[in-house]
Amino acid sequence: MSVVEKETIQVVQQTIGVSNLSPDVYPDLAADIEYRLREIMQEAIKCMHHSKRTAMTSDDVDTALQIRRMEPLYVGSGNSLRFKRAARSKDMFYVESKDVELREVIESPLPKAPLDTAVVSHWLAIEGVQPATPENAPLEVLLAPVDNKKPDSKEDAISGGENKTPVKHVLSIELQLYFEKVTDVTVSRSNSIIFDKALLSLATDAGLHPLVPYFVYFVAEEVTRKLNNLHLLFALMRLVRSLLENPHLHIEPYLHQLMPSVMTCLVSKNLGNKFTDNHWDLRNFTANLVGLICGRFGYGYHNLHLRVSRTLLHAFMDPTKTFSQHYGAIKGITALGPSVVRQLILPNLDSYLQFIEPEMQLDKQKNESRRQEAWRVHGALMRAAGLCIYSQLRMIPNFLSPPTHSIWKRNGKFGTANPNKRKAASMNNLMEQPLKKVATGDGSHLVKVEMQGAASGFSITRGGSDVGMPRYLPNDNMAGVNGRRDKFSASQISSIAVSRAWKKEINAGHLLPKLYEIFGQSMFHFVPSPELCNLHL
Amino acid sequence: MEEELDKAVFTYLKKRGFTQTELVFQQEKQNKNNKSDTDGSDTDVTKQILTFSQSENIPALYQDGYSKLRSWTYSSLDLYKHELIRVLYPVFIHCFMDLIAKGHLQEAREFFSSFREDHEMMHSRDLTKLEGVLSPSHLEEMEFAHSLRQSKVNIKICQYSYELLLQYLHKTQSITMLGIINEHIDFQVSPGQPSSISDDAEAFSLVGSGQDAANLINQKEIHWGLLEDSLEDRLDKSGGLLSDSEKTEGDAKEVDLDENKKKSLEGGKQGGPLKKLKKDKVGGGPGKGARGDGDKAASAPRVKPELALPTVPTDVENSILEDLRNRVQLSNSTLPSVCFYTFINTHNGLNCSSISHDGSLVAGGFSDSSLKVWDVAKLGRMSSSIIQGENDAAPSENTLGSNVGKRAYTLYQGHSGPVYSASFSPFGDYLLSSSADSTIRLWSTKFNANVVVYKGHNYPVWDVQFSPVGHYFASASHDRTARVWSMDRVQPLRILAGHLSDVDCVQWHVNCNYIVTGSSDKTIRMWDVYTGNCVRIFIGHRCSILSLAMSPDGRYVASGDEDGTIMMWDVSNGRCITPLVGHTSCVWSLAFSCEGSLLASGSADSTVKLWDVNASAKPPKSEDTKSGSINRLRSLKTLPTKSTPVYSLRFSRRNLLFASGSLSTNV
Repeated sequence: MSVVEKETIQVVQQTIGVSNLSPDVYPDLAADIEYRLREIMQEAIKCMHHSKRTAMTSDDVDTALQIRRMEPLYVGSGNSLRFKRAARSKDMFYVESKDVELREVIESPLPKAPLDTAVVSHWLAIEGVQPATPENAPLEVLLAPVDNKKPDSKEDAISGGENKTPVKHVLSIELQLYFEKVTDVTVSRSNSIIFDKALLSLATDAGLHPLVPYFVYFVAEEVTRKLNNLHLLFALMRLVRSLLENPHLHIEPYLHQLMPSVMTCLVSKNLGNKFTDNHWDLRNFTANLVGLICGRFGYGYHNLHLRVSRTLLHAFMDPTKTFSQHYGAIKGITALGPSVVRQLILPNLDSYLQFIEPEMQLDKQKNESRRQEAWRVHGALMRAAGLCIYSQLRMIPNFLSPPTHSIWKRNGKFGTANPNKRKAASMNNLMEQPLKKVATGDGSHLVKVEMQGAASGFSITRGGSDVGMPRYLPNDNMAGVNGRRDKFSASQISSIAVSRAWKKEINAGHLLPKLYEIFGQSMFHFVPSPELCNLHL
Repeated sequence: MEEELDKAVFTYLKKRGFTQTELVFQQEKQNKNNKSDTDGSDTDVTKQILTFSQSENIPALYQDGYSKLRSWTYSSLDLYKHELIRVLYPVFIHCFMDLIAKGHLQEAREFFSSFREDHEMMHSRDLTKLEGVLSPSHLEEMEFAHSLRQSKVNIKICQYSYELLLQYLHKTQSITMLGIINEHIDFQVSPGQPSSISDDAEAFSLVGSGQDAANLINQKEIHWGLLEDSLEDRLDKSGGLLSDSEKTEGDAKEVDLDENKKKSLEGGKQGGPLKKLKKDKVGGGPGKGARGDGDKAASAPRVKPELALPTVPTDVENSILEDLRNRVQLSNSTLPSVCFYTFINTHNGLNCSSISHDGSLVAGGFSDSSLKVWDVAKLGRMSSSIIQGENDAAPSENTLGSNVGKRAYTLYQGHSGPVYSASFSPFGDYLLSSSADSTIRLWSTKFNANVVVYKGHNYPVWDVQFSPVGHYFASASHDRTARVWSMDRVQPLRILAGHLSDVDCVQWHVNCNYIVTGSSDKTIRMWDVYTGNCVRIFIGHRCSILSLAMSPDGRYVASGDEDGTIMMWDVSNGRCITPLVGHTSCVWSLAFSCEGSLLASGSADSTVKLWDVNASAKPPKSEDTKSGSINRLRSLKTLPTKSTPVYSLRFSRRNLLFASGSLSTNV
């Protein structure tokens, strides 16, 4: 009769320890329990509604009990309770209560604080039409049947239905307009302020995601079609950069479409008018872009690095290609980072320089522009090598610490003492000894290298090019020297520390003299110093 | 003992006229005597029968039994109440007639007069007839009473209600009532859920107030017009003038305003029929034609306020006039723009939200007893200024630089239970909140502090609403009353009692003379604030009412219920115009656009729907022909949110629709 079974009452009776209950009271008790349950549920439903919910929680029952002036149950709030079926009986359920190790609770890290409540606003509708912003429900829902439609809107409904089936996503009119405007500005008025604004919007606006494939396609199309229009190419690259900068866009799936156009702008034979346009700037800009892309997506996109560097190396190593292509390739590789430079450019440096040498000299290459191009390439190479050096030297601790005046002086004496030894030593160490041996070399060897570094540093100082330049070198150098000659314990320790640090980056020690061989003194501009950091990075 | 008992039984049987039973009883008694075995009969039964026989002679027992049954019925579960209440009337009249029949005339009269009111609404004719019954002989003579005594009343009732009733009768041992019920009522017990109220309205449908009763109440006169001399009126006048004179003559406007005031005052003094006043206005408003036909509010009659209304500061008044001038005219072809405020990270704790009239402030009431107010103007530059206004730390406002808890909102702490409702004053300078701790609190949004605590309700206060002019407010509570308050008194001005279950929502009439309440008893009532009387009952919803809205012309009430049905009621005649079906879940909020042409509804099914009011509510022509129900309110537009149930809606004075809701993650 009642929804509460006799057995249920018996179970409850047992659990609370009442034994002397005559079976006659069960029906009455059951009826009363059912009534009370209904009563509490009625109040709980009211609480639920006034909490603007459509699913009841244990909080509602607690509040209902409070309304009835009864002690709440204080079960966990929310819907964390899970009822389990008892093993033997089929109608019995219980709430599992686990034993919790107190120590574990105490020792476990505090859970993250829940995020604080906030209010965000958006336009649900503008004059009755829902804009297709990410905050609003997708368009498909919009097309859901609306009863009592006006007769003239029937066509809309039909076309809407047709749209839904084959096309995966529909661009809203707003987005279409936006796309049209941006592409129009890119093509025709890339010098105007509007274009800058457009780029800013591309770099910051959320909700442009549906347009990404269209933009990528647009860039690819325009690049292939208008290779001789430098302005346009530049504008396109800036557009790509803005897209990359937008934190709300996921451009990764479209990289494979985007990279060819970018690479084209970097290593293409002719960009714009060969003689009148400054395509070097475009290549520089694009190289940075490539660096940005590889830096951001290199990890997620496993063969991106490989493919980019292969393409670039190919362009770099091909003597039939023009100097501007070489330039682009070198710039690109430089942008990929010093380690790539070390692996791809440095091993080929000698041979390439031999190839380029005749082109650079006035007497051998009569063509003015060709000579200039060669010099540009040479400059790019120099920069690549220099940045490589810089990054390696920068890894060394103490390198940048300012020296004391006395050391500087003493070192100066020391440095001037053996200026002639410099070249020979560097030749010996770097060109003839295999790398591996150097890497495992002991402290004394290391010091030798440093001495050369110090000496070279001075050569510049004497030249008066930069006073701040040698400051860091003497410090290490002195430590090394002292370590060998005077066995000062303190300097010994620092020497060991330095040698440890150098073991990995010992190459830098080689590189510097070697590159000095090739590029001369200008290489020392790349040796890191606090002042120059700003200049070269 | 035995003989006494027998005697009692005999007298009973005789009185009842159970002659056959009497015979059988006599035979049995003789048999018993013959056997002469006095096997101690059940003493309990003996006692019961004895008390029963005695009680028959005590008319007070009737009175007592009936009043107990009545109060039990009124406090029974909402779901079954309306069925149980049907039982009361037959019990009442038979109690009365029993008393008469037994000759307790005086007591019968007392009994009749004390409970007469309950049934006055529904059975007033029967009651006037029965009133004339003054002696036992009348019962025999009177055709009506005679037929009542002879026939049984059929009452449909569901299984559980029946059980409840029987349980009650047994438990309380109210044998008198049990006797009457057994004798005169024929229960048709149906299994399953209780029948819906409106299914058989013509039977004993509602509590003390069925359809008849409601009709009776709904015949009362009601002045549903707008307040005279409202700001809109002034705008009509001044707006027309301004457009004529290219807004150059600011002074002229002032003069015009004054004239307008005088005129309306005179109109009020005349005390003539409203229609005359209305005609006056129509004739005198040259700018009206330009404002279009859609503005129904303009054609509504004007009434005088019955309450002392607060004065509006001139600067506020001017800003409102400015808003009114810039109002966008909405119609079924020009839909409003909707700005949606989404509460995120609420962890299911948001109970209610409220938006100020200009949309610049958004308040949220939470189940953790807190009330939080966001200044939407500052939302954009969230990081810049952080004001923390705690109840006890009001001066912290001065030290803006101190990052005392980086909050983007103002936290109001004070309640000790879930906050169920919040309401901004018309000018946004005060905020009211109601809570499960049975208090209402008034907060100043200028000082970020609690100003007054209104204690009066005994149970959770479900809803609180400021009147359209401010100063007064109304509250609705679990204690089945609605109360009217003014800001400067901690005691309620009026207690509106009459609902048979929780009052769930409350709304003011635009002219402040009436309030409308919706209840879990599935009815909507309209109350005269001045007299405190119920002036309208709207019956038709099939489940509890969750939201109410008043049309700007004061003529229509819209109500939304648990099932997602919205109903429009005509205040002037108390009829339902048409149900609006479309929502699939609870309708949390309703709002009329400022000129009354659109109705917006927000629901738990995560949509905002816009309805065309004009399509159905074509004023009065159709009233007499009853064709009102033929017109259907049209659903103009459904605006779905991603997964945000819509908690509140508000049309700004410029007709921009603001909506708010809490993003629900577990959908």
